[in-house]
Amino acid sequence: MNKKKLIVVLIFIFVLIVSCFSKEFYPDIRPGDGVTDFKWLSDYFPGIKETNVDTPVYIMSGEATGATFLLMGGTHPGELAGTVAAISFIENAVVKTGKVIVIPYSNLSAASIPDLTGKVSHFLPVQTKSGKRYLVFGDRRTDINDEGIEDPEVFVHPSDETEYKGDESRNLNRNYPGEENGTLTSKLAFAIINLINEENVDFNLDMHESRTPEEYEKSNSDYNLSYSLVCNPKALEMGILAMLNLELETGINVKLEESAKNSRGLSHLEIGNYTNSLSFLSETPNPAQDPSKNNPDPMYDSKYPLKHRIGIQLEIVQMLIDSYNMLFEEKLEVEKIPTYSDLMKYGFEAYLN
Amino acid sequence: MKKVSVVFFALAIFFVGFVFAEEVFTLEQPAFITSAGQSPGALQMTVVCKMVKLDYTFEKLMTADDFDPQAYNCAIFVVGASGKGLGAAGIDIDEETARVVALAQKAKDNGLPIVLTHLEGAARRGASSDLLFNELSPFADALFIKEESDAADQMFSNIAEEKEIPIFFFEKTADLKNVISEVFGL
Repeated sequence: MNKKKLIVVLIFIFVLIVSCFSKEFYPDIRPGDGVTDFKWLSDYFPGIKETNVDTPVYIMSGEATGATFLLMGGTHPGELAGTVAAISFIENAVVKTGKVIVIPYSNLSAASIPDLTGKVSHFLPVQTKSGKRYLVFGDRRTDINDEGIEDPEVFVHPSDETEYKGDESRNLNRNYPGEENGTLTSKLAFAIINLINEENVDFNLDMHESRTPEEYEKSNSDYNLSYSLVCNPKALEMGILAMLNLELETGINVKLEESAKNSRGLSHLEIGNYTNSLSFLSETPNPAQDPSKNNPDPMYDSKYPLKHRIGIQLEIVQMLIDSYNMLFEEKLEVEKIPTYSDLMKYGFEAYLN
Repeated sequence: MKKVSVVFFALAIFFVGFVFAEEVFTLEQPAFITSAGQSPGALQMTVVCKMVKLDYTFEKLMTADDFDPQAYNCAIFVVGASGKGLGAAGIDIDEETARVVALAQKAKDNGLPIVLTHLEGAARRGASSDLLFNELSPFADALFIKEESDAADQMFSNIAEEKEIPIFFFEKTADLKNVISEVFGL
C-alpha cells in the first residue's frame, strides 16, 4: 500500500470512528459529474448550525446562467421515492444552463430515526452498480430528542389559522414559512425559505408520497392524493402545462390540485406565498404508507414498485422544467435525468452510483 | 311525365336524406366556462381552449345572479370535486351544488346549450364529483368525457344514452382540443 492510499484509508477510518461516536446522521450520497458545489443548509441560516436538522445541499450549475430550480426530497423520509429520486438526480443529471439545487433529505433529523410505525427497516439494502448500499427509510417527523421540547396537545400554526395534532409540530411540511426564533422544525422551514430567497429560486418541487389509490377507495371519500401534483395558485398554469405534457409524452396521468388556502404551513402554499418561487408538491403511491398493510415492501411491491414511483417523480421534474422553459425567458437545461422508461427497464439501482 | 318522375325522385332523395341524416351537434362562440366542484379541471379546459383560440370567459365561482346569459352562446360546466379547491374557495359541496344547479337553470331558461365535461380521469371520480354530475345532467345537451373517466362503470355513457344526447370522448386531456374544434367549427 503506497503512502497516498494509506492516508485515504486512515481518513476513512477516522471519519468512521467520528461517525460512530457522534450523534449526527450522514446519508450515503455519491454525487455525479453534475454536482458543482456543496453547501449546508445552515449556510443560509446559521440558526440551525450544529443541529441535527442541518442538511446537505447540492448545487448543480450549468456553464450558462439561467433559471434556478430547487428540488427537495426527504421532507418525510419514509416517502422513499422522493428521497431516491433526489439522489438519482444528484448522481446522474448534468445541468447545461441555469442552476439546480437539490436537498435530498430536507428533514435529516427525521431520516436519522426509523419510521415509528415499525413496519419498515430503517436501512434498506440495495445492489447498485458499485455494490451494496443502503436506502434510508426514516420517520415523518423531526426526532423528538432533537426538537428538545415535548409536543403540544394541539399544534396551532403561527398564523393561528390552522390546527393540527400535537406531534405535527415536528412535521416540516406543517411549519412553513418557519420562524427565526421558533422550534427547531420551524427554524428548518425558515432556513429553506432563506435559501429560496438568497438563491432567487424561480420554481421548486417538494417530492412526497401518499397512500395507494386502493387505500383511499376504502375510505369511500373523494380525498385521494396518490398520483397528484399540487400547485400554488400562482403556479397553476405551469402545473397544467406540465401535466398535459406528461400525459402526452409518457401516457402518465397525474391529478392536479390547487393549494388549499386554509391548510397553513404546507410547502406548496407557503413557499409560493412567502417567496417569488413557483411552488409544487408531487405525490406517488407508497404501499408502506397504507395503514392496512402489515408487511409492506416499499421497494419491490408488485403494483407500485419504487422504480415506477421514482420514474414518475423524475418525469414530473422534467415536465416542470419544460413548462418553465415554455412560459419564461430565462431557461433551465438539464441532461441525463433518468426517464420513466429507463427506470422501468433497468431498475432504480442502475441509477445509483 | 318524365319530368314529373325526376322531380319526384329528387324530392324522395331529399326527404329520405332529411329524415336519416345524422344530427350534428354544434356550438357557437363565445363560450362561458365554469367549474363544478372547484378542481383544477376547469383551468385545464381553459388551457385547451387557448390552444384552439376559442373565444371564452372563465369564472370558476360565477353565481346565477351575476351571470348574464345574453353575453354567451353556450355554457360549459367542467365537473370535478376537489376538497382543496372547495377549501380554497371557502365553500362546501352543498353550496357548490346549489350554485351550479342555479347557474345551469338560468342558462337553460335563456336557451343556452349546456355541455358537461369530465376531463380529469378516474382519479377525479368520487362521491362528490358524481353527485355534481348527476345534479347537472338534466340540463345537459352534450357531454365531453375523457375515456378513462368512463372506463370503470360507463356512468357517462349511460347518462348520454338515457338522455339521448351526444357524448364526445377523448383519450388524453390535450385531445379535448379536437372535440372543441369539431363542435365549434374551428
